[in-house]
Amino acid sequence: MVTIDFTLNGKRVTVDVNDNETLLFTLREKLSIKSVKEGCSIGECGTCTVLIDDETHYSCLTLSSKVTGRDVKTVEYLGNIIELHPLQEAFISCGAVQCGYCTPGMLLSAYSLLLKNKDPQDEEIKRAISGNLCRCTGYIQIIEAIRYAAGILKQNC
Amino acid sequence: MLPEFLSRTAKTKEEALSYITGLEDVKVLAGGTDLIVRMRKGEAYKHLVDVMEVPEMKGISCDEEGFKIGATTTHNRLSNSQFIKMNARSLSLACGLIGSPQIRNMGTIGGNLINASPAADTIPPLLVHDAVLTLESKGGERKEELEDFIIAPYKTSMKSDELLTFIHIKRKRFKDYREGYKRVTKRAALAISRLSVAWAIHEYEGLFHDVRLAIGSCTPMPFRPRIVEEFLKGNKKEEQIIIESVKMILEEIKRITGDRPSFIYKIPVLKDLLENILRG
Ligand code: FES
Ligand code: FES
Repeated sequence: MVTIDFTLNGKRVTVDVNDNETLLFTLREKLSIKSVKEGCSIGECGTCTVLIDDETHYSCLTLSSKVTGRDVKTVEYLGNIIELHPLQEAFISCGAVQCGYCTPGMLLSAYSLLLKNKDPQDEEIKRAISGNLCRCTGYIQIIEAIRYAAGILKQNC
Repeated sequence: MLPEFLSRTAKTKEEALSYITGLEDVKVLAGGTDLIVRMRKGEAYKHLVDVMEVPEMKGISCDEEGFKIGATTTHNRLSNSQFIKMNARSLSLACGLIGSPQIRNMGTIGGNLINASPAADTIPPLLVHDAVLTLESKGGERKEELEDFIIAPYKTSMKSDELLTFIHIKRKRFKDYREGYKRVTKRAALAISRLSVAWAIHEYEGLFHDVRLAIGSCTPMPFRPRIVEEFLKGNKKEEQIIIESVKMILEEIKRITGDRPSFIYKIPVLKDLLENILRG
């Protein structure tokens, strides 16, 4: 058992974790972040995606001790029910959400892309979400949503 | 759930080496993209030593002989590095194809080498560059060619008290070479290479001057077809020579591996791939 300290969605948190505990478990079971989902547990589906220092990581393969002193973001960082992030708005209006299981991870991969690339081409969008599987939408709507949100975000700034 | 273990995070190389020597049943953890998956499936150790926080084992730096890559440098960092793009283009391309963005943000070049999969994407480019590894232990350090380091599929010559710290590539010999990496997979992302080729070729007035090829996923370990490289040296860049040399490579593969069911598919694909690479 060790005590770790990190920034979660902009706030400092301190939590006791077991040596063999994954970040996925810590977030869901100890910090009540239920947006981070468990799908495959072996780094293939992407529904457990989180941002560590703004880069996408699979939390199912990340030991919690690894985020000591780091900045961790989940989809809660992007927006909330009162004020959604333009990416979230776009996912809804483009029909990019069906069952929603992949959505938090998709949004984080999209967010991380737009941080580095304000005007991504479709190929770049596809590459950015290639580590996130969606079993419902067929991806087209997701790609459209990200392209649409990129346009809105560009206008805003 | 993962099997029980105790984990330590090393902050310096010395600390990492003390843990590796001092602790019982210990395994080094870097990005975790292979190890944690295997542990999920039951592989177990008493201790893990996380070396991702050791600053000197990360990044790319130049030295007298060329440049060196820290073992915990991530695939993403390597694929985005302008320096690697210019000095080892095949490696840059290979790192950009591994896994998925998340895997590339987490996984490291050292981890890929130690895993020593026949399909590891970083191995063929490093073979083309005659990469040399530094392995350190409490007792000192040794250097070994990557080609000798991998002794069997998923097996290396690394001893239990050793830590892979650096990968060395010699200075810019490859200035006027055309260099690349291609792989064939079942799908674009999160896929394992079924076939891969890294190359660096220098041609001069219609003659092959220096041809370096490394082929992955066809033989138990990625390999350089040296006999053919030698055959091509100084030979004319002509269709007949190209066809002849590719035939020699394919025969060499069958000799090493024996006939495999997958070869019905692989051999014709590899033939086209190699011929096109040589034609340039
Ligand atoms: S649960 Fe982590 S990638 Fe599937
Ligand atoms: S919306 Fe159901 S998995 Fe993507």
